Amino acid sequence: MTQHASPPRDSTGKVPSAGAAPAWRGLMARADVRTLSLLGVLAALILIGGITKPDEFLDTRNLQLVLTQGSVIGVVTVGMTFVITSGGIDLSVGAIVALASVWATTVATQEYGFAGILFTAVIVGVACGLVNGVLIAYGAMVPFIATLAMLASARGLALQITDGKTQIVTIPSVLDLGERDAYVLGIPPLVMVFAVVTIIGWLILNRTTFGRRTVAVGGNAEAARLAGIDVRRQRLYLYLLSGLCCGIAAFMLIILSGSGQNTNGNLYELDAIAAAIIGGTLLSGGRGTITGSVLGVLIFTTITNIFALNNLQSDVQQIAKGAIIVAAVLVQRRTASTT
Amino acid sequence: MAPVPPLLSMNGITKSFPGVRALDGVDLDVQAGEVHCLLGQNGAGKSTLIKVLAGAHQPDTGTIRWRGEGVTLRSPIAAMRLGIATIYQELDLVEHLSVAENVHLGHEPTAAGFVVRGKVARASTTQLLKRLGHPEIDPARLVGDLSAAQQQIVSMARALSHDVRLIVMDEPSAALDPDEVDNLFRIVGDLTSAGVAVVYISHRLEEIRRIGDRVTVLKDGRAVAGGLPAKTTPTRDVVAMMTGRNVEYVFPERPPKDATGGEPLLEVRGLARHGEFEPLDLTVRPGEIVGLAGLVGSGRSEILETIYGARKPSAGQVLVDGRPLKPGSVRAAVRAGLGLAPEERKAQALLMLESVTRNVSVSSMSRFSRGGWIDRAAELGAARAATRELSLRPDNPSVPVRTLSGGNQQKAVLARWLLRGCRVLLLDEPTRGVDVGARAELYAVVRRLADEGLAVLLVSSEVPEVLGLADRVLVLREGRVVHTAPARELDEHRVLDLVMEGSPAS
Amino acid sequence: MPELTSRRGLLFGTAAMGAGALLVGCTSNESDDEPAANDQPAADDKPGKEVTIGFAGPQADHGWLNAINDNAKSRAKKYSDVTLEITEGSNDTAAQIGQIETLINKKVDVLVVLPADGKALTQVGLKAMRANIPVINLDRIFNTPQAYRCWIGGDNYGMGLNAGHYIGEKLKGKADATVIELAGLDNLELTQQRTQGFDDALKNYPNIKKVARQAAEFTVESGQAKMAQLLQAQSKFDALWNHDDDQGVGALRAIEQAGRDDFLMVGGAGALSAFQAIKKDDGVLKATVLYPPTMAASAIDLARALGQSKGVGGMAEFEIPASITLYSAVVDKDNVDQYMPTGFK
Repeated sequence: MTQHASPPRDSTGKVPSAGAAPAWRGLMARADVRTLSLLGVLAALILIGGITKPDEFLDTRNLQLVLTQGSVIGVVTVGMTFVITSGGIDLSVGAIVALASVWATTVATQEYGFAGILFTAVIVGVACGLVNGVLIAYGAMVPFIATLAMLASARGLALQITDGKTQIVTIPSVLDLGERDAYVLGIPPLVMVFAVVTIIGWLILNRTTFGRRTVAVGGNAEAARLAGIDVRRQRLYLYLLSGLCCGIAAFMLIILSGSGQNTNGNLYELDAIAAAIIGGTLLSGGRGTITGSVLGVLIFTTITNIFALNNLQSDVQQIAKGAIIVAAVLVQRRTASTT
Repeated sequence: MAPVPPLLSMNGITKSFPGVRALDGVDLDVQAGEVHCLLGQNGAGKSTLIKVLAGAHQPDTGTIRWRGEGVTLRSPIAAMRLGIATIYQELDLVEHLSVAENVHLGHEPTAAGFVVRGKVARASTTQLLKRLGHPEIDPARLVGDLSAAQQQIVSMARALSHDVRLIVMDEPSAALDPDEVDNLFRIVGDLTSAGVAVVYISHRLEEIRRIGDRVTVLKDGRAVAGGLPAKTTPTRDVVAMMTGRNVEYVFPERPPKDATGGEPLLEVRGLARHGEFEPLDLTVRPGEIVGLAGLVGSGRSEILETIYGARKPSAGQVLVDGRPLKPGSVRAAVRAGLGLAPEERKAQALLMLESVTRNVSVSSMSRFSRGGWIDRAAELGAARAATRELSLRPDNPSVPVRTLSGGNQQKAVLARWLLRGCRVLLLDEPTRGVDVGARAELYAVVRRLADEGLAVLLVSSEVPEVLGLADRVLVLREGRVVHTAPARELDEHRVLDLVMEGSPAS
Repeated sequence: MPELTSRRGLLFGTAAMGAGALLVGCTSNESDDEPAANDQPAADDKPGKEVTIGFAGPQADHGWLNAINDNAKSRAKKYSDVTLEITEGSNDTAAQIGQIETLINKKVDVLVVLPADGKALTQVGLKAMRANIPVINLDRIFNTPQAYRCWIGGDNYGMGLNAGHYIGEKLKGKADATVIELAGLDNLELTQQRTQGFDDALKNYPNIKKVARQAAEFTVESGQAKMAQLLQAQSKFDALWNHDDDQGVGALRAIEQAGRDDFLMVGGAGALSAFQAIKKDDGVLKATVLYPPTMAASAIDLARALGQSKGVGGMAEFEIPASITLYSAVVDKDNVDQYMPTGFK
């Protein structure tokens, strides 16, 4: 080192758990254990489904059904995962989906056909995200409050547009995408959209500077700022991203339900948050996992599917859903703390 | 066997956490009325030991005797009932409650069993604060509005509001200025003369010399020495026991240089922030380390953060290479080549959940990315190179940064700026929470970076550190520079006189 | 009550209006085919005493509720002697109480209230009655009859009953027939009543077994999701009863997506889209059981009659009834044209 004095070596550089290389492996293993425990839960559910309803559950059509039903909320959850990872929250996702889906299905919009519906849904989603982002990043509003305000206004606006009426979609090219004939190699188009959004989301979060900045802002916003990251701009982008996902999801929901209604996206915010948290994204920010979120969504959708196939009623469904959330989080905490 | 059993006697305490044995058969005897110092590097087991003592952790094996009787400290409440109070380093006060409410939290004076008698609580709090030498703290104020030092007094008042027999203080002087440390020592003296035992934890050997009676040294979860006389055991021996080495602070030599060489790299002109510090001029040349010495509250950290753009100045400007920086913009400062190692490393610099690599690369991500796409191999390689250059241990940048010692965490922050190619380094309390043994190495790193052409601006509350490391020293008092001189022309006494008196010399 | 005497004074008054319109479901705009008058003083179309009716309903976030508002408004517009004071719909109980109190302070002549929550709004109903403002309680019933002068509403049990009988008759003679049920929001009592009626009706048909029931949420989205699951669970069944035509839009979408047409479907409520599908008769939807939103128009008629101190036509009594339960008629291909104008969007 220097020739002036012989500075002592720091002997305290050891990691509490083990030596250097094993610690690294331990970190990887822990990330894997978290995912594995989710896969375990999913496998257990598949086992339950397969035992209770072998014919109906273990069926290609049922797989298509589960994935399709999970794809709309799945896309919303990918956006939500980014927001939560950054230490924020977006309570307005369900309302944005509702507003985008009704705006995109008004008589006037439908005159522009497929492109008109798609474009409107996405633009409305992004615009709502922009408002959220500006309020939070530059208006210094708490995300909880800003997005709660957006929830109320977007739902209100959706109601005003529809007057409570169901807007039926009459564009064949839109409706056809939800039919079996549109499946490619047995894969429904909505599921493909979900897969693409998931992969892009994973890459952005894990492989890009945008993802790193998201994690940094969520882990320690002050440190991120002092490290030279434009925290406010990052926050703006994140809520824009969530809005974009809502716009895409709204379009998917229009395809799926063949209509636009102001009640669309009911309680999406809670479902998306629950799926992300079960997946292993920290509600306090700083750690996010797209894989986990998607597994969380699939777990919820599979539960709903198994319940419906076994003809269990909503009261049982709700109780079991709550119990499974608690169980999944407990299992994860245990596996995370013992490795 | 002493005729009177010790107040506290812990024998063969072991405590393991998943993957780590924090305590490995530790013995500790504390007599009533003594100041018993606990020494040890970070990770030596001090925190675990005092948590066992406070009832926050249950030992795996070992016995605890209190006045000769075997006891089990099942919970913090059980410890408190015996008369054991703990003042943690991270103060556990409720910011949104008043001083009096905090002091009496959990044992509020009540009427009819549940109506809190606020007046009684405030009166007894006033008494306690007076006893602690801080009658100026208003019991009705919110704790969140107090300074760190005042909060510590409140924390102490809370401990004393119980019938306390033994009080544990975990690095109580860390956030205090010399005069406040004096007050602390006076309080400790009062306590011990009243027969209360004090377990005192500190990094600062000179403090232990001043107030300690006996010393127990911990290393790697074991007590390597117990009950040594605090005043007479040679420093060399204590350091050797803590580190396995026999050195104290070693400052690197200053390279010989002519005083006027080179254009200033960092120039601060009339920079001021209303209410924090007055217009300030300073220059730092490449290869130069300039130190700011002053008490807590003298505006040291505020000056650094304002130069860095983290706070908006009310007047003046900052120039790098003669070009003015956009005021109040961290990003502009970073782009111009400034880097800050802030005072609160964990809160202001580090992403604690992330690996060393990501902590190091966070300010230079564009360097390993194309179109936002990160080349992780290049990132890891660069982080490895930067951390190796600073001898960061362990030599594996993939470990989580939170598993590192304080000194190595600081090196991770320095590596961040090294990787960024930063030319002006702002260091705020660079050795806070860093072990004695690791400090010298950090000093050498800073000096070497300066030798390589960086301009370094250093802030420290430890005067010897500023004097030993800096080339030039600015002495601050209440937001104003009262003296500027080459470091070799100053000594600790002179600086302390200046920060106290503020008599403008020369 | 001063109204009593004055009403008797008008004993020999005016012509009555069509009883059928009132009692079956008010085909609103077709009021020229009224039967001849009897000798009771009943309300008619001719302008009479000016009446101000206060109307407070919940937020119209569902097609049926929106139809309620529309029916009330258009009915009131029809009468030159009626002024309608309509409040902003609200699902917040406190807000609705405030709105009704405002109407009381304005001293409207009659109140028509469709409460967001019948139990929670009972007190304000009582308050209006005490202030001598008669209250027409629409559909969601108050806790006590003292809180309203007249209740008019639909028959949830009857809906289920009629749906069950319709399906039962259709499947008569088919051995081991199976039916499934797509219910509405399970949290609501009305959903339980509809299911109860349906189950009771099916007891009359020992050859039919209900094999599955799932609850949706009265929304298109939930209808699609739950129906898709039901279709996957039941590879073969003969009939489906869906509680609500709004969620039926989603259910039909799921049926279409699954490519199923091997059963008959009966809807509920009476949405326009359901009527159109029944008329077209090219899908599984063969009938729907009414829960007529025209009850709001009837409520306006009743309120006007009260305000003008008249009875209703087609009945022998001097007073309007204290309670009117509407009949949940089954609309199928044979009678759909008659109901088409009442279908809501």
